[in-house]
Formats: sequence, C-alpha cells, structure tokens
Amino acid sequence: MISPTAAPFTRRRLLGGAAGLAAAAFLAGCGGPAAARDAGPPRRGGVLRVGVTGGGASDTLDPHSPATNPDIARTLSLYEPLLHWDDAYTLQPAVAEAVRPEPGARAWTATIREGIVFHDGRPVTPDDVVATFARITDPDDPKSGASQLGVLDRVVVAGDRQVRFELSEPSPVFDQYLAEYSCGIVPADFDVSRPVGTGAFRFEAFSPGQQSAFVRHDGYWRPDEPHLDRLELINFAEDDARINALLSGQVDAIDQVPLSLTEVVGSYESVRLLTSETGAWLPFTMRVDVAPFDDVRVRQALRLIAGRDEMVNQVLSGLGAPAADLYGRFDPQYLDPRREQDIERARDLLSAAGKPNLSVELVTSPIQAGTVEAAQVLATQARAAGVEIGLRRVDTSTFFSDQYLQWEFAQSFWNTRNYIPQASQSSMPDAPFNETHWDDAEYQAVIRRARSELDPAVRAQLVRQAQRIEFDRGGYLIWGWPDRVDAHQAYVGGLVPNRTGLSLSGYEFRKAWVAV
Amino acid sequence: MSASTENTENTEHTGNTENVTENTAYAAPAGLIRRTFRRRQARIGAVLTLVVVAVALLGPLLGPVLTGYAVDDFAGRPFRPDGLAGTDDLGRDVLTRFLAGGGPVLLYALAATAIGIIGGAVAGMLAGYSHSDGSRLDTLIMRGGDVLLSFPQLVLALLAVAVLGSSGLLLVLVIGITHIPRVARVARQATLSVVGQDYVLAARMYGVPRRRILATEVLPNITGPLMVELGLRLTYSIGYVASLSFLGLGVQPPAADWGLQINENRIALIIAPWGVLLPVLAIAVLTIGTNMITDALAKESADTTGEAA
Amino acid sequence: MTSTSPLTRLILKRLLVSVLVLLVVSLLIFGATLLLPGDPARAILGQQATPERVAALTEQLGLDRPAWERYLSWLGGVLTGDLGFSAATQGPVTELLGGRIAASALLLVLTAVISTPVALALGAWAAVRRGTRTDSALSGISLVLAALPEFVIGVLLVVLFATSVFQILPSVTIARPGEPVWARPDQLVLPVITLALVVIPYVIRMTRATLSEALDAGFVEMARLKGMPERTVLLRHAVPHTIGPVAQVIAMQLAWLAGGVVVVEFLFRYPGIGQALIDAVANRDVQVVQAITLIIAAFYVLVNLAADVAGILADPRIRTSGGVAQ
Repeated sequence: MISPTAAPFTRRRLLGGAAGLAAAAFLAGCGGPAAARDAGPPRRGGVLRVGVTGGGASDTLDPHSPATNPDIARTLSLYEPLLHWDDAYTLQPAVAEAVRPEPGARAWTATIREGIVFHDGRPVTPDDVVATFARITDPDDPKSGASQLGVLDRVVVAGDRQVRFELSEPSPVFDQYLAEYSCGIVPADFDVSRPVGTGAFRFEAFSPGQQSAFVRHDGYWRPDEPHLDRLELINFAEDDARINALLSGQVDAIDQVPLSLTEVVGSYESVRLLTSETGAWLPFTMRVDVAPFDDVRVRQALRLIAGRDEMVNQVLSGLGAPAADLYGRFDPQYLDPRREQDIERARDLLSAAGKPNLSVELVTSPIQAGTVEAAQVLATQARAAGVEIGLRRVDTSTFFSDQYLQWEFAQSFWNTRNYIPQASQSSMPDAPFNETHWDDAEYQAVIRRARSELDPAVRAQLVRQAQRIEFDRGGYLIWGWPDRVDAHQAYVGGLVPNRTGLSLSGYEFRKAWVAV
Repeated sequence: MSASTENTENTEHTGNTENVTENTAYAAPAGLIRRTFRRRQARIGAVLTLVVVAVALLGPLLGPVLTGYAVDDFAGRPFRPDGLAGTDDLGRDVLTRFLAGGGPVLLYALAATAIGIIGGAVAGMLAGYSHSDGSRLDTLIMRGGDVLLSFPQLVLALLAVAVLGSSGLLLVLVIGITHIPRVARVARQATLSVVGQDYVLAARMYGVPRRRILATEVLPNITGPLMVELGLRLTYSIGYVASLSFLGLGVQPPAADWGLQINENRIALIIAPWGVLLPVLAIAVLTIGTNMITDALAKESADTTGEAA
Repeated sequence: MTSTSPLTRLILKRLLVSVLVLLVVSLLIFGATLLLPGDPARAILGQQATPERVAALTEQLGLDRPAWERYLSWLGGVLTGDLGFSAATQGPVTELLGGRIAASALLLVLTAVISTPVALALGAWAAVRRGTRTDSALSGISLVLAALPEFVIGVLLVVLFATSVFQILPSVTIARPGEPVWARPDQLVLPVITLALVVIPYVIRMTRATLSEALDAGFVEMARLKGMPERTVLLRHAVPHTIGPVAQVIAMQLAWLAGGVVVVEFLFRYPGIGQALIDAVANRDVQVVQAITLIIAAFYVLVNLAADVAGILADPRIRTSGGVAQ
C-alpha cells in the first residue's frame, strides 16, 4: 500500500478471511496445469482473470476509501491520481502532465494532461480536480485519503488546464501525497454508483466480496495500453483457494503467494513467480510513554534481542531482507544501517535499566501474513536474553478496535513510503497513526524543518539526522523487508517486479497481456 | 417427562449408552473395571490410550533428546524436509513439537470431563432424588439443562470464545459445562431407579440428611453409568479441545499443541504432511482407545445389571 | 384423534416446552452478545469515524436504548424474518446468510440422503449376521469411526484422496463468484463423506441393537416357527419395531450435523453458515453471530422435537396407554 492513508487503518476491514498465512489451508495437489506457453510479445485483446487476496462484503468502488486488496486493485484500474509511483518507486506524471511547486513550496500547480478523458468521453477539467479534492477532504465525511492532505488549505482553478494547491505551510514533498492511489481524479458530478475515472479500464460489473469486471477504456491516454479487452478481479479470502485456482487454471494470475509455499508453486512448469523487493515493513511497536518502554535502554535492548536474519529466515522463508529499525527503504536518503543481535549488550542494558528479568506482554494479531509468526520468533529469541515475552493473540477486529494506538507492545504493518511522508503518518505528534506515541522534541524539530526545507541538500541532511535519532531511541522495532511474491500463468506477459509493496506490478493491469 | 424422551437424549450422539440407563442396580466400580478389562476390546483400548498418554507425558522430555531441538528451536526454514518429520510453519522441528504438544489436549480434556461428570452427577442426583418427592428442583434442573442442550456443544463454545476471548480456562469451563446436562440426564435416570430401593427409603425415614443419602446410598449405586459417561465425555472432550484449537480458537501460539499444530501446518499438507499427520493420528488413536474402553465398560455394565435383573 | 387425547397433549406439551426453551435460548444469545467487547457503531464506521457520526449511528441502531428494549425489537425482527444488520457487510443479515443457509442445507440433505440408507443397510446386515465376523468387523469399524472428531476424519480423507496418496478430489471448495456450490459436485464429495462417516456409525449401532433385539424377540420366533421365510420375518415383523428408535437416532444425527458442519465447513472452506459463524466470531459481527447461533439452536431444538415426537408416536406403551392407535 503506497497510500499514506495508512495501511493500519484500512486493514481493519481486511479481517477474517484475509487473516493471511495464519489462516492456513490445504492445497489440492491436483489441478491440471495448462500447457506452458510463453507470453511472447505484447498482444492486444484477451481477458485476464486475477485472483486477489482478501476483500469481503464491505468491498467498495469508492476511489477515495479503498480498504482491501481487491478495493485497491479496482481503484487502480478505474481511477488515476495526478501523479503515480512507477515500478521503481519514482514519481511519474499521470492525470497531470506536471506538478510543480511555486517558490517557497507553499503552493503547487498541477497541469492537467492535454486531451485526457474520463470513461464517458468528457475531458478532465480543473473543476473536476477541485471537486475531487473537495470530496476527499469533505469535513463531514473525510475519505481515507484525507489524512495525508492535512497541509492542504484550498484547491483553486488556475487556468484552462491548471489547478493550484494552496498549503498551510511549505511542503517540498507535497507531490508525493498527490501520487497516492486514494487520490484518483473523478468528475465533479461523480457518483459511486456510476464509477467513472480516467483509468485504463471501464467499469462493467461488481458484486462485493466476490468479483468485479472491467473492459478496456478506449480513450486511455497511454499509447497501446491497455492491452487487454477485459479484466476480471476475483476475491479469494483464503490462500489455498487462491493458489488452487491458479494451479488449476481457473485464474491467470494471483497476488501474494505465501512465502513458505513459493517453492511448491514455482515448481509448476506452467506458472511464473513474480518476486518484488518492497519497502513494506512489519514492525513491533513499543509505546515510549509507558513503562518499561519509556526507558530507552529497554527499547534498545529489545532491538538488540531481535535476530533479524533468523526472523527473515523463519518468518519469510528467507524471502526478504533484514532491516534495522528504520523505515523508508527506497528513500534516497535511507541510511541502511545494520543492527546485529547482541544478547550480551541487551542483558547489560536491561540490568542498567533495573529490569534484568523483564517480562512483557506482546499483543499480536494476524493483521498481515507473518505478524503472528514474527511475534513467536521474537518471543523465542527473547528467552535467550532472560526476557519473557508473553503473547496475547487477538483477532484482527479486536486489534483495530478502540485499543488500536493504545497497545503498549504490539505490531503493525506499513507499505513502501519515503521517509518524510511516513514520519508524518506514524512518528509525529500530529500523525494519525503514531503507534509508539513517539514524542521526541529534537526529532520533531528536525522533521518540521525537513518538511518545509526547500534546499534538497539540507533536507537530505535533515532526513538523515532524523533517521539517526530514530535508530538511537525510537519505539519501532523493524526487523525486515518482506518480498512480495505473486504468481501468474506463463502466458501472461507485462507484469514486472514493483517496489510499492502492492502485488502484481502494483495492480496496474494495463501493462499486462495474455498470449493466445 | 416420558421415558422415551429421556432415552432420546441419553443416546444423543453417543451410540454407547444403549440400554445402560434403564437398568436398576449396578456393580461396585472396582469389580466393574476388573471385569471390563477382561474384555479384549478394553485391553486394546487401554494399550492405545496408554501409548498416546505416554507420548504426551514423556514427549516433552524425550523430544529434545531424540531430535536435538528444543520446542522453540529453529531447525531450518519453514516446511523443509529437514530432520525426521520436517519443519513446521516457522521452521521448528515437527517431531519435537509433536512430542511436546500432547499435554494441553489431555489436561484440558481431563479437566473438562471432571467438571462435566461432577457437575452432572450432582445435578442429576439432586434432580432424581427430588423427583421422587415431587419437588420443583427436578423440573428446574432438567429444564435448565434443556436450554444448554439446545446448542450444539461446539457452537456454544464458539459463542463463549467470541464473547470472552480464548483461554485454556474458558475452554475447560465451557466444554465442562456443556457436558453437565448430558451427564445429568444419565445420573438422574440412574438415581430414579435407586431412590425407590428399600435401603434409600429406610435412610430417608430415619431422617438421614439428603446430602448423606446421596453420597453414601445413591452415588455408589450409580457408578456404572457414571463410569460409562466418564469415558464418553472424555472421548468427546478430547475431540472438542482439539477441534477448537484446530479452528484457531483454543490453545494459542507459540504453545505446542496438537490441534494448533494441525491448524498451523495444514497449508503445507502437500509438501510437509507430517506436521498435520502426526497430531491427527495421535488424536485419532487416543479417542479410539478411550472409546473402546468406554464401549467395553458400557457392555460390561449392561451385562452385569442384565444378570442382576 | 381428538384434540384432548393424551397423545396429542403430550406432543403439544413438548412443543410448548420447545418454544419456551427457544425463548430462553434467544435471551441467552442476546445476553451473551451484549458482553462482546467493542462498540458496534465504531466497528461499522471504522477508525476515523467522527464522534458525531458514531453518535448518529448509535442512535440509528438503537444502541442507546435499554437492553430489554433492544432485545424485544431484535426478537420482533427475528420473528418477522429480519435478522438484523451486519457490520461487516453493511447490509441485512438475511442477505448475507441466504445463500449460505442453502449451501449448508445442501450439505445436510446430501449427508442425510447418503448416510441413512447406507447406515440402515449396514446396521441391518450386522443384525442379521449378529455374532459373525461381519458383525464384529462392522462394530469395530463403527466404534473406531464414532471415536474420531470430524476434523480428524476430514484431514485423513484429504490426505488420502486429495493430496498425499491419491490426488483425485479437490480438498477445498472454490465458489466462483455468482456460482452456486452445487455447480461443482466434485467439491462436495469430501465434505459430504466426512459428515456421513461421522453420522453413520451411530445409526449402524442403533439399527443393529434394536433390530437384534427384535429378531430375538418372541413374536419373531413365533413367525419363524410358522415357517415364514427369514426375509419376510425380517421385513414384516422385525423391522417395524425398530422404526421408532432408529428414526430418533437419525433425527438426532441430523441435529448433531447442525453443529458438526461448523468444523467441516472450516476445513473444506465450504461457504455455509458454519464458516460464516467463524468469520463473524472473528469479525465481532454481533448480529450475524446472534442470527447464526439462533438458527442453529432453533434447528437443533426442532429436530430434537421431531425425534421426541417420533419416539412418542413409535412407543407402544404410550400409544396404548393413551388408547390411541396410529
């Protein structure tokens, strides 16, 4: 999820069926794999049927509050934001051909792409863009895209194809917020019962919790795309059912192969795995304002207890990379530090903190594949340091109930995001999801400066400084970057690894084609 | 309440209690057990049960010695064929986890059975005893039981877990409580046939307190059906505890537990079957063992009373 | 028979008792779900809901009214076919459960239709050959099967027929959107066999026991002595005496199935009410939990009632003492 609309919040609806790996399942070994034929060169036409994880009866077509994976996949097919994150996680123009800051970065101007049209053939106008943002930030009914637009004061028409975003404070990274998939541009008279956008696919049918179907948007602005005539997204709550459907040829592609099963799935001749490095992270969250985590030595001790390589091996089957308590993996300023397991130092720190026999309760929940497993591994590793971590497993809805953001020692998950947008989501006092209650005066000063610093070199330096502070005393224990593994039939082409953390090339099926 | 109604609910999903409850006098427990184990079926059942109990009791000690891994040790990546039985969903040794995982099932099942038998025997005896003097207590107990009986046991357990969250204690309590009305019916029926006997009537005439009559006159004479119930409820308790863990609502990770182990590993059944098969087979052997003993008990109990009648 | 006949009175009494029990059950279910943690209005609206919206929805759902008032309106709704509002689907519970009830009913009916004749035939066979090796083999097998929890049977079947030994049947149900479960009969095979294997042993044992008793009874001996062929003896004289108890056992097995489907549906990912119940428990979807437990309890009570009535009707003592012939 690249949306700064915070993965944790949206996931609360993912619930039950999508409980991930922990939900476990049987694989039927049967299912005749279709004869392997390769995708070959891009081809126009055909149908792509995609099995998507999760979703449920609360599925929506609302462009501005997608919650589950199928929601996101639909959003990315129907709608487009002004900018977008490409497969390498760099910003690219989409509905806007350019978005530029004015000097001082207190205002930004977007220029709408020439000739871009909605599914109903009407051109995109500045009024549509203004109405879109009014819809997202509607004070009576703020959509999930609203939280990252806190600095946005007002959106005004500034020309035939220009829209001006006026901010309450300078923001040199405001364009990153506009690239979130939950900021798709819709017509001023948008109605969710007639879901019209500029995306590569036009709406055809939708049954919540089950499936949705789309057809090619002939007026799409990217040349030669989409390749497909038709796209079908099918919900699969369970891992086994999804894999089974792929292996038996019921679907052409699936997202999120459980990491421990990639080998089995990949051994099918007719199937191709699509492995993407991501900047997603599954942290442990320690609330820095309650004992024992209010003592930085305790936090650092727990961070030293975590054996990150072992966690990557046991939780992710080795498909991922160890992390060192910092997020923002693909931020150009990412420090990429190491933190090795050091039980001796952890013991020393705990003794110094007066808690040699620390005993804490960790609240865990299958909020994402691997969270419960990671909690178990950490508990095991902690025992070696004389720390007793008791696991309290709750279900997903309890986890995201009123107590969410109040848990003292718990878990979370986030998708790829650059450092400052992420900090604004989770590490600042005004952040909507400050899970660790992180409230460090020095840190805040650095981030505030960085948020409005115009000189890229100074900003880079500030971002590095902020990372060092979080590395030394933050409340997150970030142990790894899980890879995303998807799978598709060999005859499906055009899907490439994608760093956003979203599956199947960022759910951008305009890129895909199927061979005859 | 008609006799047939009683019979209906006694045999509710048991298949074992046929003809047991209608009998009038019962042998002393020691003799019953001795005679029961003269039957080949009971001896086979005992061997099966003991094998599994031995695994559950000694496994936690033997496991690390046999495999070289402690319960929580990582033996490799998840679902690899390393070691005798491969690794589980977290890369721990399946055999070690299996050997360590029998405790909770046995313990919880025994505790739930104890609650069910004790509660059911008390409730049933009280109901049966008060039936004879036309007291309302009988109706009250049996109607209360009817309400509990109108939920399948597992559904009631699910409701309780939904409300109170899952914990071992809750599991034991819920399963135990759902046994109570079922045991109570049997105990009541057996009590009814005892309270009419001369020695009970005599004790009542002499003003012996109810509690003492129940404990010294009634209880010893209904041990036959209670023993059968004990076996039966134990078999079911094992099934329910394991089922709830299998549904992910019983024993919680990272504990080693057979039901949970099946839940954790069934996604990889096709590549790493032992993580599922070992605990499944252990539960199967255990329940088959206890059921064989119970069946033999029931037959013996019926035969004995049949001769007596 | 007249409305005042003792038999009718007995049945009416059982009916009344069942209704009362159901009423208490509904109270119990409602009371239990009151204890569920979390605020339903907040659960529906999500994390970012403004206090005003939570308050508005609380009022709309009537959560601010006293519990007894809510109970009455819930009960009223249930009696008029309105099972409430699902927080997860944002729609009526009836809409969520409609297809699932049909799917579960299909499992139940298929299981009953397959297991009953098989079990009756096997039970009768064992009874006719009582004391032989066939009989003891059947008893042994049913004793073993009766001991196994349903998920153990299910897992073993999956290992045997879907994954490790033979790979001839699907181990999970994949319902393509908009497709009813019966569109893929092969997916029904393992769930139905699992349930059938759980149910069959009890019916076999009961059939064998009652039929054996009847076959050894005096009037059957008499028929034999009259020179009737054994086949006729069996069908004319022995079998009728077993109908009552066997019907009861079958009814009770059906009742048991209402609970048994929960585990089996979870195991095979079968989209019925059992799986919906587990989902709803995990989602804290209160009204769905209420609805499903009530449906299952009602079914359970009704089938048990049917079993009782069958027992009453079939019991010669009651029949004759009431002076009523069937």
